[in-house]
Amino acid sequence: MIICRCEEVLLRDIITSIENGAETLKAIKMETRAGMGICQGRTCRVLLEQAIAPYTDITIQETNNIMYKNPVRPISLANLSRSGKDSSQ
Amino acid sequence: METADVVIIGGGVIGTSIAYRLAGNHKVILIEKGEIGAGTSGSCDKAIFLQSKKPGFPIKLAQASRMVYENLEEELGMKIEFQKNGGMIVIENESHLDFMRKFVKQQNKAGINVKLVDQKEALAFQPCLSPEIVGATYSTEDAEVNPLLLTQAFAEAAKRKGIIIRTHTAVTDIVTKDGRVIGVQTNKGRIETELVINAAGPFAPKIAEMVGVGLPIIPRRGVILISEKVKPMVHGNILCSQYIATKHLSNNTDAPSYGIGLSLGQTESGNVLIGGSREFKGYDKAVEPEVLTAIAMHARRIAPFLDSIRIIRTMAGFRPFTSDGLPIISETPNMKGFIIAAGHEGDGIALAPITGLLVASLVNKDLKYKDFLDPLKFDRFNAIHASPKQG
Repeated sequence: MIICRCEEVLLRDIITSIENGAETLKAIKMETRAGMGICQGRTCRVLLEQAIAPYTDITIQETNNIMYKNPVRPISLANLSRSGKDSSQ
Repeated sequence: METADVVIIGGGVIGTSIAYRLAGNHKVILIEKGEIGAGTSGSCDKAIFLQSKKPGFPIKLAQASRMVYENLEEELGMKIEFQKNGGMIVIENESHLDFMRKFVKQQNKAGINVKLVDQKEALAFQPCLSPEIVGATYSTEDAEVNPLLLTQAFAEAAKRKGIIIRTHTAVTDIVTKDGRVIGVQTNKGRIETELVINAAGPFAPKIAEMVGVGLPIIPRRGVILISEKVKPMVHGNILCSQYIATKHLSNNTDAPSYGIGLSLGQTESGNVLIGGSREFKGYDKAVEPEVLTAIAMHARRIAPFLDSIRIIRTMAGFRPFTSDGLPIISETPNMKGFIIAAGHEGDGIALAPITGLLVASLVNKDLKYKDFLDPLKFDRFNAIHASPKQG
């Protein structure tokens, strides 16, 4: 079963990572690349949380330690360079 | 009560490299407050630059570390995406040309194989660059590695050799008695130990405070943009001469806003890493959008072919800055059993392999690396706190 489509990470990969000691979304992400693709977890995050829950003693809130970061949506480099107020560079 | 010969504080690339080198001969516990390699080591670029280092001792140290990389993948038994694709420093305008000519001469004298190439040669090798550039320097000695995999590989290899790694465990106090360390208190219990290694990177000063020591290490925030996966378009790593000017000319007066200097590379999976900024902002991770804009503007001026690639994420990391650009790898005067291994700023990935060996040598008191350790001693800083220049 595919959990993260962007990076093609299977449920099996997630379970292996948990068996190797990963306890949180961040640990799993860094090991398997789940959530590192173009959707940045917008699609797979909920699936990931649910996938971990049965395998660990900790709650979904506790495993949920991935920060939301800019940009909120993919943006081209050209558009990003035009987006701010500072144009002194 | 739990006991250990050595407690390493910090599970970044430095702490795990040290753990790996101590494994087998000592009972070691590594304490990490978050995840392995998720702090500074997980929010940096992937370059192992040699040509950008200062001549003299910094180059010798970097070369020694670079040598260890040659067989590291094999030694650790895990893929770390070590590649020898060379590195380039782009010269954007004429005014940097004289400085960079001198720079190349000086690096050649120091034993680094680097040459000046003109605009045509630079573009032939690196088609993503702007035809507006003046030229570039190129060195085949620069290499690259995946910092996430590197840290995980050190950690896994250390675990296989018997090191205990505790993540999500924060050090709350270091217990001392008569000027020596006797234990480490964490939020999950106390460990009796006579030797603590402070490998907490930008947080090393907070750990040192627990034994009453002021460390001249300051967090310097660096931001990097990450693109979607794209076909290979960046060969090796690219810096710009602005970065070198900022790094090597202490009296550089036209420092750019947010300390912007290009660092460009592409991961094996296809993501382009576009850096970066260098700012003193304390431990504040909330990056102003203006910083992202400034990084994007600077990058597309030098590499306009990146215009259409989409940025999917940004990362902010704190680099442990010291005023002389070198880490502190040293015992602590007046506090027995407290070794410092921090302050690598932007060279943590480049210097991690040698740092592990140096600290192991300190712990084993074998004097094998005396020539490297002497210049990295803590007491080279006379003042308690360095005074950083903004930028």
